[in-house]
Amino acid sequence: MAAQPRTVSGHSSAWVNEAVGQHLIGLSSDMAIMSLLALSAYVLLLVGRVSFGQQAFFGLGAYASGVLSVMFHAPLLLALGFGMAFGALCSWLLAMPTMPLSGLQYAVATLAFGEMARIVLSGWQWQVLSPDGPVGPAGIEGFRDIRWLLEHDITPAHFLGMTLAILALVLVVLMRTERTRLGVALRMTGQDDTLAATQGIDVSQVRLFAAAVAGALAALGGGLYAHRTTYIEPALFDPMLGVHAVGYALLGGLGTALGPLVGVIFDLGLLDATHLFSGWRMVVFGGLLALFLRWRPRGLLDEQLVHRLSQILNWKARA
Amino acid sequence: MTLSSHPRIRLLMLAGVVAILLGPRLGHASERPQVGLQCMSYGTGPMLECLIDLKRKDGTPIEQAQINLGALMPSMPMAHTIKPVRVAPTGKPGEYQGTLTLEMLGVWSIDIDIVAPVRDKVSRNLMVNECKRDLRCAATLAKPGDKGPDHRPAKGHGGH
Repeated sequence: MAAQPRTVSGHSSAWVNEAVGQHLIGLSSDMAIMSLLALSAYVLLLVGRVSFGQQAFFGLGAYASGVLSVMFHAPLLLALGFGMAFGALCSWLLAMPTMPLSGLQYAVATLAFGEMARIVLSGWQWQVLSPDGPVGPAGIEGFRDIRWLLEHDITPAHFLGMTLAILALVLVVLMRTERTRLGVALRMTGQDDTLAATQGIDVSQVRLFAAAVAGALAALGGGLYAHRTTYIEPALFDPMLGVHAVGYALLGGLGTALGPLVGVIFDLGLLDATHLFSGWRMVVFGGLLALFLRWRPRGLLDEQLVHRLSQILNWKARA
Repeated sequence: MTLSSHPRIRLLMLAGVVAILLGPRLGHASERPQVGLQCMSYGTGPMLECLIDLKRKDGTPIEQAQINLGALMPSMPMAHTIKPVRVAPTGKPGEYQGTLTLEMLGVWSIDIDIVAPVRDKVSRNLMVNECKRDLRCAATLAKPGDKGPDHRPAKGHGGH
């Protein structure tokens, strides 16, 4: 460590600008990935379920897609699709036995499943030899060298474009679905499942469907995260991640699929990126969440506000 | 009718995603460099000064490399974003230095993103502990499962 200190300040401004650009690209990618996780919590909140275990499906999707692209040399699209299918299947399997549970019991069950999944991943060892040495999940030491993006010369900017395109597609599908009979069934199930059942809605099927979709979305986010960072480990998927996903959805609002994005932009884009409130960020975020739960229990963009905004937009369009 | 509900627009969006995902297949597996990392923590933040040693497989140092040094907390992915810095050569062949300002003590995953002349990304989990008085102390490799000290903001502990 006897080297002469020469930090970033010694570089040309072009280098600094490039580093800042890279930081913004990385931050935007993180926000898009976190939005997918928040959307998975949002889908479950729509049907009246609070899950503190979405980080498990995020992790399972990350491992599943990593295994496929690293150990079976599958293209990224296929790896992400496999991760999504695996996440959906696991979430559906969890939803089956937990169907009769009430709100709090279900939340605790998902939290327990999240920890179970993390322990299983901590013990999972399956490696194959590659020209650069063994690759694959190595238990608690994690899964390194998920290098599909590097091996295919995909730049961080390209990856951001890809992630945003996927997020946009997910949002379009979710927002379109909300206007269909299925969307109405989802909201009715969440607001009053007894009333929904009397209207002929199969509440169990709707909740199973929502759980599978939520698992797939979280797993998609996990797959993208694994390929972005090239390294994952079980410690990444701890309950705080799942709690944040629910927090973003509740803060942003349950009136539209854009709500969770507002929550993510507020926390990661404003509080974290600007270092506003510095070490007090989590206290501010938690405090705001508590205030919202008291005065705006369905978040900033709740159903009433979304309805009012759409009325204004329709009125302006007619004018 | 919204823009996204138009069948052609939807088809174009879908084609765009597929093209982005399947398009760039021009890749090649470049030879991976050997990366050495030594970091010292000091001061308020704490600051983490890292030396990176970059070599080819045959042991020859890689010079004029472009490397970004970043960090994230494994216990809270995507929520503690440290602005990456571009490292500078120290003058010794294949050796580069960069300093990160961390947000707190604990286990940090240090990301070494090599942009040129070879493309690679390496992560190491380091335990950043509180240094006593004005001393700088080495950030050691974190043991698997380590979470380190409580995630509290680091107090001023000497430094420069």
